[in-house]
Amino acid sequence: MKSQRAVALLLVLILPLGFAGIWRLQHGIDSQLAAVSQERDDVLLRSGKLVKWMSLEYSPLLADIYWTRVVQYYGNKHVRRQANLEMLWPLLDVTTTLDPNLVVAYRFGAMFLSQAPPAGAGRPDQAVELIRRGIQANPDYWRLYEDLGFVYYFDLKDYQKASEAFLEGSKKPDALVWMKVMAAKIAAEGESFSTSMFLWNDIYESSSDPLIKKNALQRLELLKAQEDCKQLNALADEYAKRNGRRPARMSDLVQAGLLRGVPADPEGFAYVFGEDGKAEINLDSPLLEQQLLLERLNKAVPR
Amino acid sequence: MKRVGIVALNTFREAVRDRVLYNLVFFALLMMLAAVVVGQISIGIEESVIVSLGLSAISVIGLLISVFIGVALVSKEMEKRTLYALLAKPVRRWEFLLGKFGGLVLTLAVNTAAMAAGLFLVMLYVKHSLQREDAVVLVAVYFIWLKLALIVALALMFSCFTTPLLAILFTAGLYIVGLYVQELRNLPVDVMSPATAAFTKWLSYLLPNFENFNVMAMAAHGRAVPGTLILQNTLYVVIYCAIVLTGAAAVFSRKNLK
Repeated sequence: MKSQRAVALLLVLILPLGFAGIWRLQHGIDSQLAAVSQERDDVLLRSGKLVKWMSLEYSPLLADIYWTRVVQYYGNKHVRRQANLEMLWPLLDVTTTLDPNLVVAYRFGAMFLSQAPPAGAGRPDQAVELIRRGIQANPDYWRLYEDLGFVYYFDLKDYQKASEAFLEGSKKPDALVWMKVMAAKIAAEGESFSTSMFLWNDIYESSSDPLIKKNALQRLELLKAQEDCKQLNALADEYAKRNGRRPARMSDLVQAGLLRGVPADPEGFAYVFGEDGKAEINLDSPLLEQQLLLERLNKAVPR
Repeated sequence: MKRVGIVALNTFREAVRDRVLYNLVFFALLMMLAAVVVGQISIGIEESVIVSLGLSAISVIGLLISVFIGVALVSKEMEKRTLYALLAKPVRRWEFLLGKFGGLVLTLAVNTAAMAAGLFLVMLYVKHSLQREDAVVLVAVYFIWLKLALIVALALMFSCFTTPLLAILFTAGLYIVGLYVQELRNLPVDVMSPATAAFTKWLSYLLPNFENFNVMAMAAHGRAVPGTLILQNTLYVVIYCAIVLTGAAAVFSRKNLK
Protein backbone atom coordinates (compact mmCIF):
# COMPACT_ATOMS: atom_id res chain seq x y z
CA MET A 1 0.00 0.00 0.00
CA LYS A 2 2.82 2.31 0.93
CA SER A 3 4.77 1.54 -2.21
CA GLN A 4 1.64 2.20 -4.33
CA ARG A 5 1.24 5.59 -2.69
CA ALA A 6 4.90 6.35 -3.36
CA VAL A 7 4.54 5.44 -7.02
CA ALA A 8 1.43 7.64 -7.30
CA LEU A 9 3.27 10.54 -5.66
CA LEU A 10 6.21 10.03 -7.98
CA LEU A 11 3.88 10.06 -10.97
CA VAL A 12 2.21 13.27 -9.80
CA LEU A 13 5.65 14.86 -9.61
CA ILE A 14 7.21 13.33 -12.70
CA LEU A 15 4.33 13.91 -15.13
CA PRO A 16 4.02 17.71 -14.82
CA LEU A 17 7.75 18.24 -14.37
CA GLY A 18 8.58 15.91 -17.22
CA PHE A 19 6.15 17.54 -19.63
CA ALA A 20 7.27 21.01 -18.55
CA GLY A 21 10.80 19.95 -19.41
CA ILE A 22 9.68 18.54 -22.76
CA TRP A 23 7.81 21.77 -23.52
CA ARG A 24 10.89 23.89 -22.82
CA LEU A 25 13.13 21.54 -24.74
CA GLN A 26 10.83 21.58 -27.78
CA HIS A 27 10.96 25.38 -27.81
CA GLY A 28 14.74 25.14 -27.85
CA ILE A 29 14.67 22.57 -30.66
CA ASP A 30 12.19 24.71 -32.63
CA SER A 31 14.41 27.77 -32.47
CA GLN A 32 17.45 25.68 -33.44
CA LEU A 33 15.58 24.23 -36.40
CA ALA A 34 14.21 27.62 -37.41
CA ALA A 35 17.77 28.97 -37.52
CA VAL A 36 18.93 26.25 -39.89
CA SER A 37 15.68 25.73 -41.78
CA GLN A 38 15.47 26.17 -45.51
CA GLU A 39 12.56 26.23 -47.88
CA ARG A 40 10.68 23.06 -47.05
CA ASP A 41 7.85 23.37 -49.55
CA ASP A 42 7.65 20.30 -51.68
CA VAL A 43 5.09 18.30 -53.53
CA LEU A 44 6.31 14.76 -53.20
CA LEU A 45 3.97 13.23 -55.74
CA ARG A 46 3.57 15.54 -58.72
CA SER A 47 1.69 13.17 -60.96
CA GLY A 48 -2.03 13.70 -60.50
CA LYS A 49 -2.76 10.44 -62.29
CA LEU A 50 -0.49 8.49 -59.95
CA VAL A 51 -2.05 10.08 -56.87
CA LYS A 52 -5.51 9.31 -58.25
CA TRP A 53 -4.49 5.73 -58.93
CA MET A 54 -3.17 5.37 -55.40
CA SER A 55 -6.20 6.97 -53.79
CA LEU A 56 -8.32 3.82 -54.34
CA GLU A 57 -11.91 5.11 -54.37
CA TYR A 58 -11.27 8.12 -52.18
CA SER A 59 -10.08 10.61 -54.80
CA PRO A 60 -12.81 13.21 -54.02
CA LEU A 61 -11.69 13.36 -50.39
CA LEU A 62 -8.04 13.49 -51.40
CA ALA A 63 -8.88 16.31 -53.83
CA ASP A 64 -10.41 18.26 -50.93
CA ILE A 65 -7.27 17.64 -48.87
CA TYR A 66 -5.03 18.80 -51.73
CA TRP A 67 -7.20 21.86 -52.24
CA THR A 68 -6.91 22.70 -48.54
CA ARG A 69 -3.14 22.34 -48.99
CA VAL A 70 -3.29 24.82 -51.89
CA VAL A 71 -5.20 27.31 -49.74
CA GLN A 72 -2.80 26.88 -46.81
CA TYR A 73 0.27 27.16 -49.06
CA TYR A 74 -1.06 30.28 -50.78
CA GLY A 75 -2.28 31.80 -47.50
CA ASN A 76 1.09 31.29 -45.78
CA LYS A 77 3.00 32.80 -48.68
CA HIS A 78 0.52 35.66 -48.89
CA VAL A 79 0.81 36.47 -45.20
CA ARG A 80 4.63 36.37 -45.36
CA ARG A 81 4.59 38.32 -48.64
CA GLN A 82 6.75 35.67 -50.26
CA ALA A 83 6.75 35.70 -54.02
CA ASN A 84 7.94 32.16 -54.77
CA LEU A 85 4.76 30.22 -55.42
CA GLU A 86 6.27 27.56 -57.62
CA MET A 87 4.46 24.72 -55.82
CA LEU A 88 1.08 26.24 -56.66
CA TRP A 89 0.79 24.73 -60.13
CA PRO A 90 1.72 21.13 -59.19
CA LEU A 91 -0.66 21.26 -56.23
CA LEU A 92 -3.50 22.57 -58.40
CA ASP A 93 -2.67 20.04 -61.09
CA VAL A 94 -2.98 17.15 -58.62
CA THR A 95 -6.16 18.62 -57.07
CA THR A 96 -7.98 19.00 -60.37
CA THR A 97 -6.84 15.60 -61.64
CA LEU A 98 -8.17 13.97 -58.49
CA ASP A 99 -11.52 15.72 -58.84
CA PRO A 100 -12.11 17.38 -62.21
CA ASN A 101 -15.47 18.71 -60.97
CA LEU A 102 -14.04 20.67 -58.05
CA VAL A 103 -14.79 24.03 -59.70
CA VAL A 104 -13.61 26.03 -56.72
CA ALA A 105 -10.04 24.82 -57.42
CA TYR A 106 -10.15 26.19 -60.98
CA ARG A 107 -11.78 29.47 -59.97
CA PHE A 108 -9.65 30.47 -57.01
CA GLY A 109 -6.61 28.56 -58.26
CA ALA A 110 -6.62 30.70 -61.43
CA MET A 111 -6.84 33.81 -59.28
CA PHE A 112 -3.88 32.71 -57.16
CA LEU A 113 -1.87 31.90 -60.29
CA SER A 114 -2.70 34.94 -62.39
CA GLN A 115 -2.12 37.86 -60.05
CA ALA A 116 1.31 39.43 -59.84
CA PRO A 117 3.44 38.45 -56.79
CA PRO A 118 3.03 38.60 -53.85
CA ALA A 119 -0.75 38.55 -54.41
CA GLY A 120 -0.27 35.60 -56.74
CA ALA A 121 2.24 33.55 -58.73
CA GLY A 122 2.31 35.97 -61.66
CA ARG A 123 1.56 33.16 -64.11
CA PRO A 124 -1.57 34.14 -66.06
CA ASP A 125 -0.58 31.62 -68.75
CA GLN A 126 -0.97 28.79 -66.24
CA ALA A 127 -4.20 30.35 -64.97
CA VAL A 128 -5.60 30.23 -68.52
CA GLU A 129 -4.51 26.58 -68.86
CA LEU A 130 -6.15 25.70 -65.55
CA ILE A 131 -9.45 27.39 -66.44
CA ARG A 132 -9.50 25.80 -69.89
CA ARG A 133 -9.03 22.43 -68.22
CA GLY A 134 -11.92 23.28 -65.88
CA ILE A 135 -14.12 24.26 -68.84
CA GLN A 136 -13.35 20.96 -70.52
CA ALA A 137 -14.48 19.03 -67.42
CA ASN A 138 -17.42 21.35 -66.60
CA PRO A 139 -18.51 22.79 -69.96
CA ASP A 140 -21.82 24.22 -68.71
CA TYR A 141 -20.43 26.15 -65.75
CA TRP A 142 -20.52 29.77 -66.97
CA ARG A 143 -18.52 31.24 -64.09
CA LEU A 144 -15.35 29.60 -65.49
CA TYR A 145 -15.75 31.68 -68.67
CA GLU A 146 -16.07 34.75 -66.48
CA ASP A 147 -12.79 33.80 -64.79
CA LEU A 148 -11.13 33.22 -68.16
CA GLY A 149 -12.29 36.63 -69.37
CA PHE A 150 -11.06 38.14 -66.11
CA VAL A 151 -7.52 36.78 -66.58
CA TYR A 152 -7.41 37.91 -70.22
CA TYR A 153 -8.75 41.34 -69.29
CA PHE A 154 -6.70 42.19 -66.21
CA ASP A 155 -3.55 40.10 -66.41
CA LEU A 156 -2.91 39.45 -70.09
CA LYS A 157 -4.57 42.66 -71.37
CA ASP A 158 -5.88 40.65 -74.31
CA TYR A 159 -9.26 42.34 -74.72
CA GLN A 160 -10.21 40.40 -77.84
CA LYS A 161 -9.89 37.06 -76.05
CA ALA A 162 -11.49 38.49 -72.90
CA SER A 163 -14.50 39.55 -74.94
CA GLU A 164 -14.67 36.11 -76.61
CA ALA A 165 -14.57 34.37 -73.22
CA PHE A 166 -17.42 36.51 -71.85
CA LEU A 167 -19.45 35.94 -75.03
CA GLU A 168 -18.91 32.17 -74.94
CA GLY A 169 -19.88 32.09 -71.26
CA SER A 170 -23.02 34.12 -71.92
CA LYS A 171 -24.34 31.24 -74.05
CA LYS A 172 -24.21 28.77 -71.18
CA PRO A 173 -27.25 27.84 -69.08
CA ASP A 174 -27.88 30.10 -66.07
CA ALA A 175 -25.31 32.67 -67.31
CA LEU A 176 -26.19 36.17 -66.11
CA VAL A 177 -27.18 38.78 -68.70
CA TRP A 178 -24.22 41.04 -67.93
CA MET A 179 -21.82 38.47 -69.46
CA LYS A 180 -23.07 39.43 -72.94
CA VAL A 181 -22.96 43.14 -72.06
CA MET A 182 -19.40 42.75 -70.79
CA ALA A 183 -18.35 40.96 -73.98
CA ALA A 184 -19.65 43.82 -76.10
CA LYS A 185 -18.24 46.53 -73.81
CA ILE A 186 -14.74 45.04 -73.72
CA ALA A 187 -14.78 44.47 -77.49
CA ALA A 188 -15.69 48.13 -78.02
CA GLU A 189 -13.71 49.90 -75.29
CA GLY A 190 -10.91 47.59 -74.17
CA GLU A 191 -9.95 48.40 -70.58
CA SER A 192 -12.20 50.92 -68.87
CA PHE A 193 -12.85 52.08 -65.33
CA SER A 194 -16.48 50.93 -65.24
CA THR A 195 -15.65 47.45 -66.60
CA SER A 196 -12.79 46.98 -64.14
CA MET A 197 -14.96 48.17 -61.26
CA PHE A 198 -17.76 45.82 -62.27
CA LEU A 199 -15.49 42.77 -62.56
CA TRP A 200 -13.73 43.32 -59.23
CA ASN A 201 -17.05 44.10 -57.59
CA ASP A 202 -18.44 40.80 -58.87
CA ILE A 203 -15.45 38.96 -57.36
CA TYR A 204 -16.03 40.80 -54.08
CA GLU A 205 -19.75 40.02 -54.03
CA SER A 206 -19.55 36.39 -55.15
CA SER A 207 -16.75 35.29 -52.79
CA SER A 208 -17.21 34.46 -49.14
CA ASP A 209 -13.51 34.03 -48.43
CA PRO A 210 -12.07 36.92 -46.36
CA LEU A 211 -8.67 36.85 -48.12
CA ILE A 212 -10.21 37.09 -51.58
CA LYS A 213 -12.73 39.67 -50.43
CA LYS A 214 -9.94 41.80 -48.95
CA ASN A 215 -7.90 41.58 -52.14
CA ALA A 216 -10.93 42.53 -54.28
CA LEU A 217 -11.74 45.43 -51.97
CA GLN A 218 -8.17 46.75 -52.20
CA ARG A 219 -8.37 46.58 -56.00
CA LEU A 220 -11.71 48.38 -55.96
CA GLU A 221 -10.35 51.10 -53.71
CA LEU A 222 -7.27 51.52 -55.88
CA LEU A 223 -9.35 51.73 -59.03
CA LYS A 224 -11.54 54.35 -57.37
CA ALA A 225 -8.48 56.32 -56.26
CA GLN A 226 -6.94 56.13 -59.73
CA GLU A 227 -10.17 57.37 -61.29
CA ASP A 228 -10.42 60.16 -58.69
CA CYS A 229 -6.85 61.24 -59.52
CA LYS A 230 -7.75 61.31 -63.23
CA GLN A 231 -10.73 63.58 -62.51
CA LEU A 232 -8.67 65.80 -60.21
CA ASN A 233 -6.02 66.15 -62.92
CA ALA A 234 -8.72 67.26 -65.34
CA LEU A 235 -9.83 69.89 -62.80
CA ALA A 236 -6.19 70.91 -62.27
CA ASP A 237 -5.87 71.41 -66.05
CA GLU A 238 -8.96 73.60 -65.95
CA TYR A 239 -7.45 75.56 -63.02
CA ALA A 240 -4.18 76.01 -64.97
CA LYS A 241 -6.14 77.32 -67.97
CA ARG A 242 -7.86 79.93 -65.78
CA ASN A 243 -4.88 80.97 -63.62
CA GLY A 244 -1.85 80.27 -65.77
CA ARG A 245 -0.32 77.94 -63.20
CA ARG A 246 -1.11 74.49 -61.82
CA PRO A 247 -2.64 74.24 -58.30
CA ALA A 248 -0.18 73.54 -55.47
CA ARG A 249 -2.79 72.23 -53.04
CA MET A 250 -6.27 70.71 -53.24
CA SER A 251 -7.61 73.71 -51.36
CA ASP A 252 -6.67 75.83 -54.43
CA LEU A 253 -9.33 73.93 -56.42
CA VAL A 254 -11.83 74.48 -53.60
CA GLN A 255 -11.08 78.21 -53.47
CA ALA A 256 -11.43 78.40 -57.26
CA GLY A 257 -14.91 76.89 -56.94
CA LEU A 258 -13.95 73.75 -58.89
CA LEU A 259 -14.43 71.49 -55.84
CA ARG A 260 -16.83 71.69 -52.91
CA GLY A 261 -14.30 70.30 -50.44
CA VAL A 262 -10.95 68.53 -50.28
CA PRO A 263 -11.62 65.05 -51.66
CA ALA A 264 -10.40 61.93 -49.85
CA ASP A 265 -9.51 58.44 -51.08
CA PRO A 266 -11.64 55.41 -50.02
CA GLU A 267 -9.42 55.05 -46.92
CA GLY A 268 -10.30 58.61 -45.88
CA PHE A 269 -6.95 60.30 -46.69
CA ALA A 270 -7.04 63.54 -48.66
CA TYR A 271 -5.54 63.50 -52.15
CA VAL A 272 -2.52 65.73 -52.74
CA PHE A 273 -0.73 67.25 -55.72
CA GLY A 274 2.78 65.94 -56.35
CA GLU A 275 5.84 67.89 -57.42
CA ASP A 276 4.88 67.41 -61.08
CA GLY A 277 1.47 68.98 -60.36
CA LYS A 278 -0.41 65.70 -60.80
CA ALA A 279 -2.96 64.44 -58.26
CA GLU A 280 -1.66 61.62 -56.09
CA ILE A 281 -2.65 59.39 -53.20
CA ASN A 282 -1.65 60.83 -49.84
CA LEU A 283 1.69 59.61 -48.48
CA ASP A 284 -0.04 58.50 -45.26
CA SER A 285 -2.70 56.45 -47.06
CA PRO A 286 -2.33 52.64 -46.95
CA LEU A 287 -3.50 52.66 -50.57
CA LEU A 288 -0.21 54.23 -51.65
CA GLU A 289 1.73 51.16 -50.60
CA GLN A 290 -0.64 48.96 -52.59
CA GLN A 291 -0.34 51.17 -55.63
CA LEU A 292 3.45 51.31 -55.52
CA LEU A 293 3.62 47.56 -55.06
CA LEU A 294 1.39 46.94 -58.03
CA GLU A 295 3.26 49.40 -60.23
CA ARG A 296 6.60 47.87 -59.29
CA LEU A 297 5.38 44.35 -59.90
CA ASN A 298 3.64 45.20 -63.15
CA LYS A 299 6.99 46.46 -64.39
CA ALA A 300 8.91 43.49 -63.00
CA VAL A 301 6.67 40.64 -64.15
CA PRO A 302 6.96 39.92 -67.86
CA ARG A 303 3.62 39.43 -69.62
CA MET B 1 -35.27 -20.03 -43.76
CA LYS B 2 -36.36 -19.51 -40.16
CA ARG B 3 -33.10 -21.11 -39.00
CA VAL B 4 -31.12 -18.72 -41.20
CA GLY B 5 -32.99 -15.83 -39.61
CA ILE B 6 -32.20 -17.04 -36.09
CA VAL B 7 -28.47 -17.38 -36.88
CA ALA B 8 -28.52 -13.92 -38.52
CA LEU B 9 -30.23 -12.30 -35.54
CA ASN B 10 -27.76 -13.90 -33.13
CA THR B 11 -24.83 -12.76 -35.28
CA PHE B 12 -26.21 -9.22 -35.12
CA ARG B 13 -26.66 -9.45 -31.32
CA GLU B 14 -23.12 -10.77 -30.98
CA ALA B 15 -21.73 -7.88 -33.03
CA VAL B 16 -23.58 -5.40 -30.82
CA ARG B 17 -22.31 -7.22 -27.70
CA ASP B 18 -18.76 -7.04 -29.12
CA ARG B 19 -19.13 -3.24 -29.22
CA VAL B 20 -18.78 -3.14 -33.01
CA LEU B 21 -21.12 -0.16 -33.12
CA TYR B 22 -18.72 1.87 -30.95
CA ASN B 23 -17.18 3.08 -34.23
CA LEU B 24 -20.19 5.38 -34.47
CA VAL B 25 -18.74 7.53 -31.70
CA PHE B 26 -15.52 7.92 -33.69
CA PHE B 27 -17.55 8.77 -36.79
CA ALA B 28 -19.59 11.37 -34.92
CA LEU B 29 -16.47 13.04 -33.51
CA LEU B 30 -14.77 13.06 -36.92
CA MET B 31 -17.76 14.67 -38.59
CA MET B 32 -18.20 17.29 -35.88
CA LEU B 33 -14.52 18.19 -36.07
CA ALA B 34 -14.65 18.40 -39.87
CA ALA B 35 -17.76 20.59 -39.80
CA VAL B 36 -16.05 23.10 -37.53
CA VAL B 37 -12.49 23.03 -38.88
CA VAL B 38 -12.81 22.74 -42.67
CA GLY B 39 -14.58 26.05 -43.12
CA GLN B 40 -11.70 27.77 -41.38
CA ILE B 41 -8.78 26.19 -43.22
CA SER B 42 -10.08 25.93 -46.76
CA ILE B 43 -12.08 27.84 -49.34
CA GLY B 44 -15.33 26.88 -51.02
CA ILE B 45 -15.44 23.18 -50.10
CA GLU B 46 -17.28 23.38 -46.77
CA GLU B 47 -20.25 21.47 -48.17
CA SER B 48 -18.56 19.03 -50.56
CA VAL B 49 -15.85 18.02 -48.09
CA ILE B 50 -18.47 17.03 -45.52
CA VAL B 51 -20.02 14.67 -48.06
CA SER B 52 -16.74 13.20 -49.31
CA LEU B 53 -15.30 12.89 -45.80
CA GLY B 54 -18.52 11.38 -44.45
CA LEU B 55 -18.84 8.87 -47.29
CA SER B 56 -15.15 7.97 -47.09
CA ALA B 57 -15.46 7.40 -43.34
CA ILE B 58 -18.59 5.26 -43.81
CA SER B 59 -16.74 3.26 -46.45
CA VAL B 60 -13.48 2.78 -44.51
CA ILE B 61 -15.20 1.90 -41.22
CA GLY B 62 -17.52 -0.48 -43.06
CA LEU B 63 -14.59 -2.05 -44.89
CA LEU B 64 -12.73 -2.71 -41.65
CA ILE B 65 -15.82 -4.27 -40.09
CA SER B 66 -16.68 -6.40 -43.11
CA VAL B 67 -13.16 -7.72 -43.67
CA PHE B 68 -12.14 -8.39 -40.06
CA ILE B 69 -15.50 -9.53 -38.69
CA GLY B 70 -16.44 -11.24 -41.95
CA VAL B 71 -13.35 -13.42 -41.71
CA ALA B 72 -13.90 -14.08 -38.00
CA LEU B 73 -17.54 -15.14 -38.47
CA VAL B 74 -16.67 -18.77 -39.09
CA SER B 75 -13.12 -19.03 -37.72
CA LYS B 76 -14.13 -17.66 -34.29
CA GLU B 77 -16.94 -20.20 -33.99
CA MET B 78 -14.50 -22.95 -34.87
CA GLU B 79 -11.81 -21.67 -32.53
CA LYS B 80 -14.23 -21.39 -29.60
CA ARG B 81 -15.76 -24.72 -30.59
CA THR B 82 -19.28 -23.21 -30.43
CA LEU B 83 -19.77 -24.28 -34.04
CA TYR B 84 -19.91 -27.93 -33.05
CA ALA B 85 -22.74 -27.33 -30.56
CA LEU B 86 -24.61 -25.35 -33.19
CA LEU B 87 -24.20 -27.87 -35.97
CA ALA B 88 -25.38 -30.64 -33.63
CA LYS B 89 -28.77 -28.92 -33.80
CA PRO B 90 -30.93 -29.16 -36.92
CA VAL B 91 -29.03 -26.42 -38.75
CA ARG B 92 -27.43 -27.18 -42.08
CA ARG B 93 -24.00 -25.84 -42.78
CA TRP B 94 -25.17 -23.61 -45.64
CA GLU B 95 -27.92 -22.23 -43.39
CA PHE B 96 -25.29 -21.38 -40.80
CA LEU B 97 -23.19 -19.60 -43.42
CA LEU B 98 -26.13 -17.72 -44.89
CA GLY B 99 -27.27 -16.72 -41.40
CA LYS B 100 -23.80 -15.44 -40.53
CA PHE B 101 -23.70 -13.47 -43.76
CA GLY B 102 -27.18 -12.04 -43.16
CA GLY B 103 -26.31 -11.10 -39.58
CA LEU B 104 -23.21 -9.15 -40.53
CA VAL B 105 -24.95 -7.48 -43.46
CA LEU B 106 -27.71 -6.47 -41.04
CA THR B 107 -25.10 -5.10 -38.61
CA LEU B 108 -23.52 -3.15 -41.47
CA ALA B 109 -26.94 -1.86 -42.53
CA VAL B 110 -27.65 -0.52 -39.02
CA ASN B 111 -24.14 0.89 -38.75
CA THR B 112 -24.22 2.50 -42.18
CA ALA B 113 -27.71 3.90 -41.63
CA ALA B 114 -26.66 5.44 -38.30
CA MET B 115 -23.58 7.02 -39.90
CA ALA B 116 -25.69 8.27 -42.83
CA ALA B 117 -28.09 9.88 -40.33
CA GLY B 118 -25.09 11.55 -38.65
CA LEU B 119 -23.80 12.71 -42.02
CA PHE B 120 -27.16 14.27 -42.89
CA LEU B 121 -27.24 16.04 -39.53
CA VAL B 122 -23.81 17.55 -40.17
CA MET B 123 -24.87 18.50 -43.72
CA LEU B 124 -27.91 20.22 -42.24
CA TYR B 125 -25.64 22.09 -39.79
CA VAL B 126 -23.25 23.22 -42.52
CA LYS B 127 -25.78 23.98 -45.28
CA HIS B 128 -28.61 25.12 -42.96
CA SER B 129 -31.11 23.26 -45.18
CA LEU B 130 -31.26 20.10 -47.25
CA GLN B 131 -32.11 20.17 -50.96
CA ARG B 132 -33.55 17.54 -53.26
CA GLU B 133 -30.16 16.88 -54.91
CA ASP B 134 -28.78 15.83 -51.50
CA ALA B 135 -30.71 12.58 -51.99
CA VAL B 136 -27.76 11.43 -54.11
CA VAL B 137 -25.82 11.06 -50.83
CA LEU B 138 -28.36 8.40 -49.82
CA VAL B 139 -27.69 6.57 -53.09
CA ALA B 140 -23.93 6.74 -52.40
CA VAL B 141 -24.50 5.30 -48.89
CA TYR B 142 -26.64 2.52 -50.38
CA PHE B 143 -23.87 1.71 -52.88
CA ILE B 144 -21.34 1.55 -50.04
CA TRP B 145 -23.58 -0.90 -48.22
CA LEU B 146 -23.90 -3.03 -51.38
CA LYS B 147 -20.11 -3.03 -51.72
CA LEU B 148 -19.72 -4.05 -48.07
CA ALA B 149 -22.19 -6.94 -48.53
CA LEU B 150 -20.07 -8.21 -51.40
CA ILE B 151 -16.91 -7.93 -49.30
CA VAL B 152 -18.55 -9.85 -46.43
CA ALA B 153 -19.44 -12.65 -48.88
CA LEU B 154 -15.84 -12.77 -50.12
CA ALA B 155 -14.40 -12.71 -46.60
CA LEU B 156 -16.76 -15.48 -45.58
CA MET B 157 -15.77 -17.58 -48.56
CA PHE B 158 -12.02 -17.18 -47.97
CA SER B 159 -12.42 -17.91 -44.27
CA CYS B 160 -14.02 -21.26 -45.19
CA PHE B 161 -10.85 -22.73 -46.68
CA THR B 162 -7.89 -20.82 -45.26
CA THR B 163 -6.49 -19.26 -42.11
CA PRO B 164 -7.96 -15.97 -40.84
CA LEU B 165 -4.79 -14.00 -41.70
CA LEU B 166 -4.69 -15.27 -45.27
CA ALA B 167 -8.45 -14.74 -45.61
CA ILE B 168 -7.97 -11.08 -44.59
CA LEU B 169 -5.15 -10.67 -47.09
CA PHE B 170 -7.11 -12.34 -49.90
CA THR B 171 -10.23 -10.26 -49.23
CA ALA B 172 -8.32 -6.98 -48.98
CA GLY B 173 -6.30 -7.89 -52.08
CA LEU B 174 -9.39 -8.73 -54.09
CA TYR B 175 -11.03 -5.48 -52.99
CA ILE B 176 -8.04 -3.46 -54.20
CA VAL B 177 -7.83 -5.41 -57.47
CA GLY B 178 -11.58 -4.89 -57.88
CA LEU B 179 -11.04 -1.14 -57.87
CA TYR B 180 -8.78 -1.38 -60.94
CA VAL B 181 -10.83 -3.77 -63.06
CA GLN B 182 -11.51 -0.94 -65.49
CA GLU B 183 -7.74 -0.46 -65.92
CA LEU B 184 -7.47 -4.15 -66.74
CA ARG B 185 -9.98 -3.67 -69.53
CA ASN B 186 -8.10 -0.64 -70.85
CA LEU B 187 -4.76 -2.45 -71.16
CA PRO B 188 -3.24 -2.02 -74.62
CA VAL B 189 -4.37 -5.23 -76.35
CA ASP B 190 -2.21 -4.50 -79.43
CA VAL B 191 0.96 -5.50 -77.58
CA MET B 192 -0.55 -8.70 -76.14
CA SER B 193 -1.00 -12.09 -77.66
CA PRO B 194 -4.67 -12.83 -78.53
CA ALA B 195 -4.76 -15.45 -75.76
CA THR B 196 -3.49 -12.99 -73.11
CA ALA B 197 -5.88 -10.30 -74.34
CA ALA B 198 -8.81 -12.72 -74.15
CA PHE B 199 -7.72 -13.89 -70.68
CA THR B 200 -7.41 -10.29 -69.40
CA LYS B 201 -10.83 -9.44 -70.73
CA TRP B 202 -12.33 -12.59 -69.26
CA LEU B 203 -10.64 -11.91 -65.91
CA SER B 204 -11.94 -8.35 -65.82
CA TYR B 205 -15.51 -9.65 -65.92
CA LEU B 206 -14.84 -12.44 -63.46
CA LEU B 207 -13.37 -10.22 -60.74
CA PRO B 208 -15.75 -8.18 -58.58
CA ASN B 209 -15.83 -4.64 -59.97
CA PHE B 210 -15.87 -2.34 -56.94
CA GLU B 211 -15.59 0.74 -59.14
CA ASN B 212 -19.28 0.18 -59.98
CA PHE B 213 -20.22 1.48 -56.54
CA ASN B 214 -18.05 4.59 -56.55
CA VAL B 215 -20.37 7.59 -56.89
CA MET B 216 -18.66 9.61 -54.19
CA ALA B 217 -17.64 12.41 -56.58
CA MET B 218 -21.18 12.64 -57.94
CA ALA B 219 -22.55 12.83 -54.40
CA ALA B 220 -20.01 15.50 -53.38
CA HIS B 221 -21.08 17.69 -56.32
CA GLY B 222 -24.82 16.94 -56.04
CA ARG B 223 -25.05 15.22 -59.45
CA ALA B 224 -27.87 12.73 -59.83
CA VAL B 225 -27.21 8.99 -60.17
CA PRO B 226 -29.34 7.27 -62.85
CA GLY B 227 -32.05 4.99 -61.47
CA THR B 228 -30.97 2.22 -63.86
CA LEU B 229 -27.51 2.17 -62.25
CA ILE B 230 -29.09 1.66 -58.82
CA LEU B 231 -31.04 -1.31 -60.14
CA GLN B 232 -28.07 -2.74 -62.03
CA ASN B 233 -25.74 -2.46 -59.03
CA THR B 234 -28.33 -4.10 -56.76
CA LEU B 235 -28.71 -7.02 -59.17
CA TYR B 236 -24.93 -7.24 -59.58
CA VAL B 237 -24.44 -7.65 -55.83
CA VAL B 238 -27.32 -10.11 -55.44
CA ILE B 239 -25.97 -12.34 -58.24
CA TYR B 240 -22.30 -12.01 -57.21
CA CYS B 241 -23.10 -12.73 -53.54
CA ALA B 242 -25.20 -15.75 -54.59
CA ILE B 243 -22.24 -17.12 -56.58
CA VAL B 244 -19.69 -16.48 -53.82
CA LEU B 245 -21.92 -17.84 -51.03
CA THR B 246 -22.75 -20.94 -53.05
CA GLY B 247 -19.01 -21.51 -53.47
CA ALA B 248 -18.46 -20.87 -49.77
CA ALA B 249 -21.27 -23.27 -48.82
CA ALA B 250 -19.84 -25.94 -51.12
CA VAL B 251 -16.39 -25.63 -49.49
CA PHE B 252 -17.80 -25.41 -45.97
CA SER B 253 -20.11 -28.41 -46.43
CA ARG B 254 -17.14 -30.59 -47.35
CA LYS B 255 -14.84 -29.15 -44.71
CA ASN B 256 -13.59 -31.62 -42.16
CA LEU B 257 -14.40 -29.94 -38.87
CA LYS B 258 -12.70 -32.49 -36.65
